[in-house]
Amino acid sequence: MSTIPTAFTDHGPQRHRDTEFPGFRLCGSVSLWPVAVAVVAVLLASSADAQTEFMLRGFADVGSTTFAADDSFTAVLGRARGAVFGGGVEAVFPQRLFVNLRASRFRDTGQRVFLFGGERFGLGIPTTITITPLELLGGYRFDYGWRVVPYGGAGIGWHLYEETSQFAQGSENVRERLQGYQILGGAEIRIARWLGAAVEGQWATVPDALGDDANGVSKELQESNLGGATFRVKVVVGR
Amino acid sequence: MLHFHARPFRWPAVVVLAWLGAGGAQQAQLLPSRPQLLSESAPPAIDRGLRDLDPPRDPRTDDVEPVVDGEPFLRGSLIVKFRPGTSADAQRALLAQVDGAAARPLSYADFDIVSIDADADPESVARRLDAEPDVAYAQARYRVHPRFVPNDPLYARQWNYPAIDMERAWDINPGATPAVTVAVLDSGVAFRPGIVRYTARAVALARNRPVLPPLGSVEVPFAAAPDLGGADRFVSPRDFILDTTIPFDLDGHGTHVAGTLGQLTNNGVGAAGMAFNVRIMPVKVIASTWDLIFGSPQMGTDDIVARGIRYAADNGAQVLNLSIGRTGPPAPVIREAIAYAVSRGAFVAVAAGNGFENGNRVERLAEFAPQIEGMVGVGGIGRDRRRAFYSNTGPQVEIVAPGGNARVGGTEGAILQQTFDFDLVETYLRGPAQYRAPRFDSFAYQFLQGTSMATPHVAGFAALLMQQGITSPAAIEAVMKRYATDLGASGRDDEYGHGLINPRASLRGLGLAK
Repeated sequence: MSTIPTAFTDHGPQRHRDTEFPGFRLCGSVSLWPVAVAVVAVLLASSADAQTEFMLRGFADVGSTTFAADDSFTAVLGRARGAVFGGGVEAVFPQRLFVNLRASRFRDTGQRVFLFGGERFGLGIPTTITITPLELLGGYRFDYGWRVVPYGGAGIGWHLYEETSQFAQGSENVRERLQGYQILGGAEIRIARWLGAAVEGQWATVPDALGDDANGVSKELQESNLGGATFRVKVVVGR
Repeated sequence: MLHFHARPFRWPAVVVLAWLGAGGAQQAQLLPSRPQLLSESAPPAIDRGLRDLDPPRDPRTDDVEPVVDGEPFLRGSLIVKFRPGTSADAQRALLAQVDGAAARPLSYADFDIVSIDADADPESVARRLDAEPDVAYAQARYRVHPRFVPNDPLYARQWNYPAIDMERAWDINPGATPAVTVAVLDSGVAFRPGIVRYTARAVALARNRPVLPPLGSVEVPFAAAPDLGGADRFVSPRDFILDTTIPFDLDGHGTHVAGTLGQLTNNGVGAAGMAFNVRIMPVKVIASTWDLIFGSPQMGTDDIVARGIRYAADNGAQVLNLSIGRTGPPAPVIREAIAYAVSRGAFVAVAAGNGFENGNRVERLAEFAPQIEGMVGVGGIGRDRRRAFYSNTGPQVEIVAPGGNARVGGTEGAILQQTFDFDLVETYLRGPAQYRAPRFDSFAYQFLQGTSMATPHVAGFAALLMQQGITSPAAIEAVMKRYATDLGASGRDDEYGHGLINPRASLRGLGLAK
């Protein structure tokens, strides 16, 4: 506990790292709220100039998506979440508005299954699910000169859904373009003049994407939305 | 009155065995005689090739089966199961009411065979006992009968596999593996060589037909069917007719059925089979004509079949093929045995019967199918994908498979598979002058038809599903029904059940979206 007041009063980078560590160490025995407040205070502390001119930046990210159709993904892939890699470009306007175009990719391999009486029987036939969203998103950056810039936005996405399995012939594989919508929120921190990092959470909905084919578990499980929640970390290159 | 369902035999309506010693006039009960295994080896099997010029054989039904004394059941004994907790004294008292007595305990049975007066009507005695509160069931000992229609050079004549898209199914699962064992409960299987000495008695194949002379002591050669594989193909063989571990096939029905189930495939020889890598458990529960002529102690009654089913389940069979059946009164002893096998994780395929043109009577083995998840009743279709003329209809038909129909396409409209050269087996059909001891070491590719032939398609299909990962019998039944190709009236119907089996779609199962 003795380290927490220090965190409130010291904004230096080195001290910042010091305060993070004790916070984790206190888990389970002491409330983390003071630590969180301290971290927010540090991050919001003004240490950078607010954005005043147009910026064009690039970014790359890695994250984890938990699919809304969790039972279907669990049946075929063995889990309802998986890694997503992406990247894109972002334009930031002086009015604190931003627009970004992001492409990402989820890819995982499971197996075809049969479901009966609450049991799942794996059939050993490899099935690869690939989802490639292309998302156009606009939003607002709360850039008031804080060290950390929160932001939020919403947008539209075009999702290329591909499902291929061994022994499939002709139209038995799937390649469909689907439309969805998403909202996101995050916070970005400037690490260097040309380098920033961000964490963000996104919720997407891709309605009526699944569940219309008798040979899909999604129909059996009455799940039709290909969307889900994604948390990711992002590296931003550009001013 | 157990009938062989599948193989279209030209058997007379009634086979009567009579002892010459009784002047040929007295139709006596069979007295058992014991064969003697003279040699465990024999000359190589003879392959007499394709028999596609033979006229079509009729499917077997109760009406064309050998029926000793014209009765479908055995006299002098009953099948009885007492309820748990019934004391031995109470059992004796109950049996005393019908002049009965318990026999020694049986292996692979949770019931008793009770002896009764040989002159008593087993049906009425069974009804009396069945009404007692301490009796779970009592029934007469009814006979059961068989039912019948890659680069293997004869594959081109096996229309039955393309009809169910097997080539693409084999792409996914090439014939399962030896990890799956399928029991063939039938007339035996030509699974090994040997020379056996039998005593052939005088016999009349039917009333009003000449009595065939006694052949006396005969040495009969056996060989393994060349296209079924070597000795390591077979596991836990058992003969409940002779109570041995050598279930020689003295008929050809079981060997043909085993071929459709698991004939070696893509070996450049002969024909193909559904699940060509599985192990086969030959369990003999059916007595053929030669078994009867040779005085077998058992006849393939309900109790024998029930014990065979329990034996197969207890010895590791994951799939049971019963290309057998009978009409007549219900067979609770078999129902319980099948339920037991399913509870042990075995899937059971049963022929739906060949008696459509003979009154379409209820098939007493297949009739349980709608009530037991993990057991299916199998009807037969021809190459025109329509119900074969013989195939029974009714609620017991849950699925259909190619059983052949010689009325559509002649002989080649039936199901081709390797079995015995019937010319050297069915000598009893040629009259006394040409009547001689059979040979079971000479093989040919024969076209047979019947629900007996359809059933091993389903049993083999079940073996593929087991290998693919669907290990629950109930789930296997569910996947078969789900992916069946609907035929006839839309949805489930009494002619085709849920439709024609679709192995490829079933083996693929479900993806995420498609």
